[in-house]
Amino acid sequence: MFFAARFRQGMKAAIPIWIAFVPSSVAWGIAAQNHGLSLDEVVLMSAWVYSGPAQFAMLGPLAENKSALQVLVAGFLMNLRFLPMSTALAPFFRGVKRVPLLLSSHVISASSFIVPYLQFQNERQAASPDGTETDGHDNLAFFLGVGVTSFVVWVTGTATGFGVALGFPQGLEEALKFILPGYFAGLLVIEMKNWAPRLICLGSLAAALAGAWVNPGWGWLATAMLVATLGWGMEAWKSRAYKSS
Amino acid sequence: MEISRIQIILIMGLMALVIRALPQLFFVGGRFPELLDRYLRYVSYAFICSIISITLFMSGARFEAQAAPWRGLALALTIFIAHKTQSAVAGMIVGVIVLLALSWMR
Repeated sequence: MFFAARFRQGMKAAIPIWIAFVPSSVAWGIAAQNHGLSLDEVVLMSAWVYSGPAQFAMLGPLAENKSALQVLVAGFLMNLRFLPMSTALAPFFRGVKRVPLLLSSHVISASSFIVPYLQFQNERQAASPDGTETDGHDNLAFFLGVGVTSFVVWVTGTATGFGVALGFPQGLEEALKFILPGYFAGLLVIEMKNWAPRLICLGSLAAALAGAWVNPGWGWLATAMLVATLGWGMEAWKSRAYKSS
Repeated sequence: MEISRIQIILIMGLMALVIRALPQLFFVGGRFPELLDRYLRYVSYAFICSIISITLFMSGARFEAQAAPWRGLALALTIFIAHKTQSAVAGMIVGVIVLLALSWMR
């Protein structure tokens, strides 16, 4: 299939992602303006970091001019989740040269990972039930159709949010402050289907307060890591116990 | 050495690109361990929840005791509505409206 046709196919598949990206990017733009970031910084962060949760994590410490190391560690740990996503996509791009792979990897995000990944798996199974080769360049074109267009929507939405926030009257700071945390809380509730992540969320909500009280810079980072590790360990232990019984 | 915000953003973006690109360039055909995948997901959940908590309830090392009940109520309603409607936007809008109404009433 031609690159353009496959790219268009990816674009069509990405429409639900665009719809999901509009409110979150606008919310982030509003929050960033409210935190005192400039339009340049907001657009640069959206385009170059391109990760909603990491941008959310960086926003507060960045606006408060906290230590660069703290901002970077928070963002880095948050972005580590791209590692498994990128690893899962890699086999579908077999035969593609390294430079296009390097450039295209920038548009990997949680949403733009799922759609192509499922599509490639379905196509692979339909083409050959034994799970062998599909064309890497075709797959890359589809992935770019999803990834590049979602990226454009994200960056445009952020800039729009920034502009929208400028038009808000005074006295709405309380509501503006709530937009991004409220949106992420809603997303998490929808995403979590079993007990372990729910417990981790409740635990880290509470533990972060104590952590920030002890050390406003690093405390909440430490408690988040601790709660996540405990929850993950408990889940692994329970599933082992279940298997052995 | 003082690092500007722009420099922090540039370094952060570079780190994100490295994380995204490494598997594409070097792990073709590799498989990420499921247990580790889940751990990384849980770490980001814990981070997001922690940030929600400190954004809404803390100001540095100080607990914002006066605003906490209203923000807590708005957060609880947001979670409830998002869960019921399966829409994060609906939840957020309800939370914002509740918070606005409460701040006008005070």
